[in-house]
Amino acid sequence: MVAEFAAIETRDLTKIYPGFWKSQQVQALTNLNLRVRQGEIFGLLGPNGSGKTTAIKLLLGLINATSGEALVMGQQAGDQDTRRRLGYLPEESYLYRFLNARQTMDFYARLFNMNRSQRRQAVDYYLDFVGLDPAVRGRRIGTYSKGQTRRVALAQALLNNPDLVIMDEPTSGLDPVGMLEIKNMILRLKAAGKTVLLSSHQLADVEDVCDRLVILYRGRVELEGALNDLLEVKDVFQLEARRVSPELQAKLVEMTKAGGAEDIQTGRPRVRLEDLFKRLVDAKRRGEPMAVSTRR
Amino acid sequence: MNHHPGFDYIALCAYALIGILVVAFVLLAFRDVGRLRTGIFRSWAIGRTTIAEAWNARIWAIVPIWFLICLIISLLVRPYSAASQVEIYLTILLRAQLVMLLVYLGILACVSLPRERERRTLITTGSKPISRLELLLGKVIGICAAGLAMLVLMTAITWGFMAVINMHIEHDAAVLYAHEKRSYNSLVRRIPPEPGIRYTAQHGVLQAQNYYTGTLRIAGLINYQTNPPERALKGGSSETLYFDFPSLPAQFVSPPVFLFRFVVLRMNTGAKPNTPAQQAAMLQPVKIHVTAVLRDNPMMTAQQSLTLNPSGTVEWRPKQWTNFFSLYEPATGQLYDPGPVLLKVTCPTLGAYLFFGDGTQAQPAACLALNLDRSRVPAGMMIPKPDPVITGFKSNNKQEIVGPSYSHPGIPAEVASFEFAHLPDRRIPIGKHGNFTVHLFLSVDKQENEALPAIADITAFTLADPTHPIRMQLRFAEKHLTVLKLPKSLLDQSPLVINIQSNYPGHWIKLTQNSVQIVRPPSPFIVNLAKSEFIIFCEMVLLVVIGVTASTRLGWPVAMLTTMVCYVLGNLFHFVYKLMILGGFGLYGPYIDSKMKGLWYYQIGSFITAVMVKMLYALVRLMPDFTRFDPLHDIVISRNLPWIVPTVDAGWTLACALPILALGYLLLRKQELA
Ligand SMILES: Nc1ncnc2c1ncn2[C@@H]1O[C@H](COP(=O)(O)OP(=O)(O)O)[C@@H](O)[C@H]1O
Ligand SMILES: [Mg+2]
Repeated sequence: MVAEFAAIETRDLTKIYPGFWKSQQVQALTNLNLRVRQGEIFGLLGPNGSGKTTAIKLLLGLINATSGEALVMGQQAGDQDTRRRLGYLPEESYLYRFLNARQTMDFYARLFNMNRSQRRQAVDYYLDFVGLDPAVRGRRIGTYSKGQTRRVALAQALLNNPDLVIMDEPTSGLDPVGMLEIKNMILRLKAAGKTVLLSSHQLADVEDVCDRLVILYRGRVELEGALNDLLEVKDVFQLEARRVSPELQAKLVEMTKAGGAEDIQTGRPRVRLEDLFKRLVDAKRRGEPMAVSTRR
Repeated sequence: MNHHPGFDYIALCAYALIGILVVAFVLLAFRDVGRLRTGIFRSWAIGRTTIAEAWNARIWAIVPIWFLICLIISLLVRPYSAASQVEIYLTILLRAQLVMLLVYLGILACVSLPRERERRTLITTGSKPISRLELLLGKVIGICAAGLAMLVLMTAITWGFMAVINMHIEHDAAVLYAHEKRSYNSLVRRIPPEPGIRYTAQHGVLQAQNYYTGTLRIAGLINYQTNPPERALKGGSSETLYFDFPSLPAQFVSPPVFLFRFVVLRMNTGAKPNTPAQQAAMLQPVKIHVTAVLRDNPMMTAQQSLTLNPSGTVEWRPKQWTNFFSLYEPATGQLYDPGPVLLKVTCPTLGAYLFFGDGTQAQPAACLALNLDRSRVPAGMMIPKPDPVITGFKSNNKQEIVGPSYSHPGIPAEVASFEFAHLPDRRIPIGKHGNFTVHLFLSVDKQENEALPAIADITAFTLADPTHPIRMQLRFAEKHLTVLKLPKSLLDQSPLVINIQSNYPGHWIKLTQNSVQIVRPPSPFIVNLAKSEFIIFCEMVLLVVIGVTASTRLGWPVAMLTTMVCYVLGNLFHFVYKLMILGGFGLYGPYIDSKMKGLWYYQIGSFITAVMVKMLYALVRLMPDFTRFDPLHDIVISRNLPWIVPTVDAGWTLACALPILALGYLLLRKQELA
């Protein structure tokens, strides 16, 4: 894909939520300058209330900017034709409680003017894609668990095969397996040439998938750049190996000390609890006992 | 409906406001409107979801509740004849439909958008490629469709219910007819059974009779030109002629002189002048009574009785003109404009007919002139022309004609002329003997010759051949239908005229627009019921549009209140209209001591009430008139409804809904959805 324009570009985007008194006003976003290239996974990080959702809503044209400008796919934010190529997963799954998963998907498919056969195809394809249990698809969404609802919300975001997917805290409300699935899915989207903007305060999510990111704090960008640049600890060297005997360990420590290195630390790496949990669920699904933790 | 005498500048302002709304809509929405070709499918998607929401909110429950309520009420009322039974049941069923649907859908319309905002489903929906116009239309379409589904269900139930009632009535009539016939044949009974009972037994009571109504003109002498004079002020009646001067700019008015000029026709009063005094009265000149009223301050009046010259003219020079027609300000020594002036003219002289025009035609239609100081009128400035309106006839929708005169044998009796155009297009059924049927509903008021029967002289001819009319005398009974058969040769391309005259002196025949009707083919009940239901649907659509518009920016409780107020105002049109014509209320009462008028607090009070009434009127003008079409009116009385009514209602509903939708769109256009 030729990237003749940025997928998302904002210039001094500012949002002040109005209040009756001046003291009730909230400056949710201040002079945000973003540039998301086509085909990358971009992370929008920040603690609660730092303005991530506000930025996303501005990009979708759901709310009006106080000042500044936002371009999505080269068009003003909120442009109706641009929204055709957009997928949006809201922070919480705001879906009609009285519709079931299929009706919900059918409704959103109609908003993209899909015809009957396209709709029927897309609905089941994406519900399979997000792994929603077929048994619950005919039930009203009001009766779903949070994770099931989240999956429907995700399916509706992908329904139109969008070029740009905006996900607001995609992993919230999902179990670790679901989280991992989502992360894999995001990587697959990238492989298919899509652009993904995701916001999160779950740093692990971002770390695993993002190419570049910004960190917001109180509506201002505090840090921005490529993930690898930002995370690399420039003054530490790390070595990992299998079958290291205690003698070899001692020797290595000696050698590094002799070479003038400081703050030497050794030990066994730990897997993350996420991996452990994933292996447990995988093993249970296959009906096997779980093995001890090793590095694959 | 009464016409407001004169220039209704408040209505003009209201229409201007509505026009601005529509123009703003067209300017701002043209992109979204252009997208509607595909957008209507997206609207329908939203509509479907709204229907699902309504279904989830148990909209279907109103059908059984409605029917239960209707059943209970119909068990409680005891109609005393078959015809009134049908009338009452239809009234109950349809009125209850209207009330329940309006209440329920009004609530739904007000709640739907705010609830989506509260539950934040608008965030997800709003991220999809839909415009705000599509969203708004989707909501309206969805709620209307849900209402329509309920309405169709209710229509089916109504039809079924009425069919069952009708079957009972038919059966009872058949039994009664057979019994009466048996008794007649076996000589127990002297009178043969009434054919009406047999008709009911065969056709039931649900079949609609359809009529074609012509236009009614009344005159002493008929002339078939449509130019004025066409109407005359009838002497000795309650008819009042209004001339409204939108403004009499003070600087133009030197002592004003009003010139009244009528074409006077003296005719038989019908009453034989018994006493010498009455005879003298007959020969007396024609009098008129003039009242001038300040529209902005109806306490300010001037009155005068005037006698017309033999030529029909008279001049009036109001005495208190300086403090009435143009107010004098002592401090500055200047005159200023007191606002619109209304002249009311009544004629107390019995037997006189004063033809009038609006002053723009040459004789004989000219009637009123205003003597202005033309030297002070700036070049190019139009001097306001009065706008004549007659009331009394229209409000009662009734007119009388009287028979020939004893005292003035030369003057013919008054004529009521009914004209029917485009008859070949009306599919008038022709009977076995080549006749078509005309129904007459006449009533008579016998002021003299009480013993003589009521007889109407009928003359029927086509305008193409007026020289060979069909003449007959028809005896008719008070408040009964009289059937008249006319040959089909009269159903010509050129209009058919049926003239009616009273045969005897002193017999006043009272007529309305519907007094002479040509019978058209009967139409099935279900069709007419559907037409009535359509009118309910139109009313529902209007309310839904108002509700959805109100809820674009307001939370649901306030939106509901707003919608309710709009509905009430929309029902108040005629009331507020009357208030305006009568000059408002409050301090404007006629019993105020004239001393009080000069007091400052009285003047402030009357100013405030005047402003309030006008504001109310302006508000009412902005609302669609919900009383304009009544779903019950025709179907209850004659089981039918002319096609023109639902057709006009559809257009009218669209015309009213468009500005409201435009407002809704403008409110929603930049609304934040999250
Ligand atoms: N509709 C609103 N009205 C007023 N303040 C709001 C509104 N929405 C969000 N805020 C405020 O704006 C700030 C940013 O909110 P948000 O963008 O939701 O944060 P995040 O998504 O990063 O957690 C918060 O302080 C929040 O309280
Ligand atoms: Mg958030």
